[in-house]
Amino acid sequence: MTDALVVDRVLGVVTRVAGPARTPPGAGPDTPLGDDGFWLDSVDLVEVVVACELEFSISFEGETDITREALATSRTLADLISSKSAR
Amino acid sequence: MTAGSRTRSAAPGLRRVWNDRPRLYSRPLWLLVIALDFLPWPWGEDLLARLFWIVGLLRASRRRPAVAWAAARGARPSRRLALAVCAFRGRWVARSMLVGVRHPADLGARVVVRGEELLAASAPRGRILLGFHLGPPNADVALRIRGHSLAFLGTVRRSRAWARPEWSPLLDPRDHLSPPDADTRLFWVGYLYRARRMLLEGRTIFIMADSWVGRERALFVVSVPGGAMTVRSGWLALSRQTGAEVVPVTTHLEGRAQIITICSPLPQPGADADEHVRAVRGILSRRVEDYVERFPEQCPALVFPPETIPGPERQAPGAAAVV
Repeated sequence: MTDALVVDRVLGVVTRVAGPARTPPGAGPDTPLGDDGFWLDSVDLVEVVVACELEFSISFEGETDITREALATSRTLADLISSKSAR
Repeated sequence: MTAGSRTRSAAPGLRRVWNDRPRLYSRPLWLLVIALDFLPWPWGEDLLARLFWIVGLLRASRRRPAVAWAAARGARPSRRLALAVCAFRGRWVARSMLVGVRHPADLGARVVVRGEELLAASAPRGRILLGFHLGPPNADVALRIRGHSLAFLGTVRRSRAWARPEWSPLLDPRDHLSPPDADTRLFWVGYLYRARRMLLEGRTIFIMADSWVGRERALFVVSVPGGAMTVRSGWLALSRQTGAEVVPVTTHLEGRAQIITICSPLPQPGADADEHVRAVRGILSRRVEDYVERFPEQCPALVFPPETIPGPERQAPGAAAVV
C-alpha cells in the first residue's frame, strides 16, 4: 500500500498546479485529476508529472508510465511513484 | 536513389490495410483510397480531387460552406473558388495517404523548402517546428526526407502506401508520436511528456498549432472571414517548459510542387506570459490571414473542420476564457 505521506505530497503538487480556482471543495486523494475533479488538461498533467519527478527525485518513462490509469487520481499517481521508488 | 534502381516492395496485405481505416474516413472513401493507390502518381490524386469537386457540385451540404467561404473572400463567381476548395480537400486526402507515391525519394523530389537556412542554426534547447492545417499535409515528412532530424507529434498515419516498408523508417515510434485513434486526453499526456524529453535533449519536434488530436486547452482563436482556426496551448507549454525555439512552418502547392516555408522564430517567452501570448497571437494571426489571402483554395480545414476534431475541453467553473 502506498505511504499516506506520498499520497499527501502528490495531492499537494496537484492542488498547486490546479490552483484555488480549480481545486474542488473537499478535494482528496480520490478526486479525479481531469473532468469533474481538478479539471487539469493535458498540459497541466504534464506539469504535474514533471513536478512529481522533482518532488520525489524519480524519472518516469513516457511510453509505459504515463497512462490514463496512472493519472486518474492523486492516489493512483502516488501508487506509481511508490512502485518506481521501490525499484 | 533513382526510381529504376529500387526494388519493388512487398505489397501490404489488403485486409490489414482495410482494417487500419482511420476513423476520419468513411468506408467507401477508404476503399477508394486503397484502389487509387494502385495507379501511378498523380493519377489517383487527380481523380480524388475531381471526385471531391463533383461531390461539392452535387451535394448542397458540402457546397454550402465552401460557397460561404468563397463569398467571404469576395470571389466572383464564388462557385469556382468553392469547388476549388472541395477539390483541394480531395487532394489533401490523397496526399495524406500518399496515394500513388511509391518511395520517399519520389515525394522529396517534388518539395521545395524556402528559408531552410533557418534550420541550420543550432538550437541547443530544442526546436519546435509549428505547422498548421493549411495547404497540403506531410510537411514534416518532406523535411525528414530532406535530411532534417525531427520527431512528429500528431495524427496517426495509415494507408496502403504508409504500410510499405520504404516508409517504415518515417513511422518509427521513437520519433513518430502518434496516439492511436481511440486515444483520450489523458493518453495524450504521455506523448507531450515524451516530446518534452526530446526537446530537453536538444532535439526538434514538429507539432501542429491547431492540433486535431491534442485535447489541451485552446490558446486563442484566429478568425478569418468564413472560418476560424483554434490554436491550442500544447506547443507553447512545451516551449515554456524547455526553452525550445518555436519556428512556424507553412506549406502550399504550386502546381505539383509542395513549397515549405520556414518562418522566422517566434519571440521567446519573457517574464510577462500574457504579453508573450499577445505577441505570438499577433504574429500567427498575420501569418494565417496572409495564407488565406494568397491561397484561399488550399484551406479546406477552415471550411470543413474535421468531425474528429476534439471540441474545447470542458472548462472548470471559473476557468479563464480563451484569449
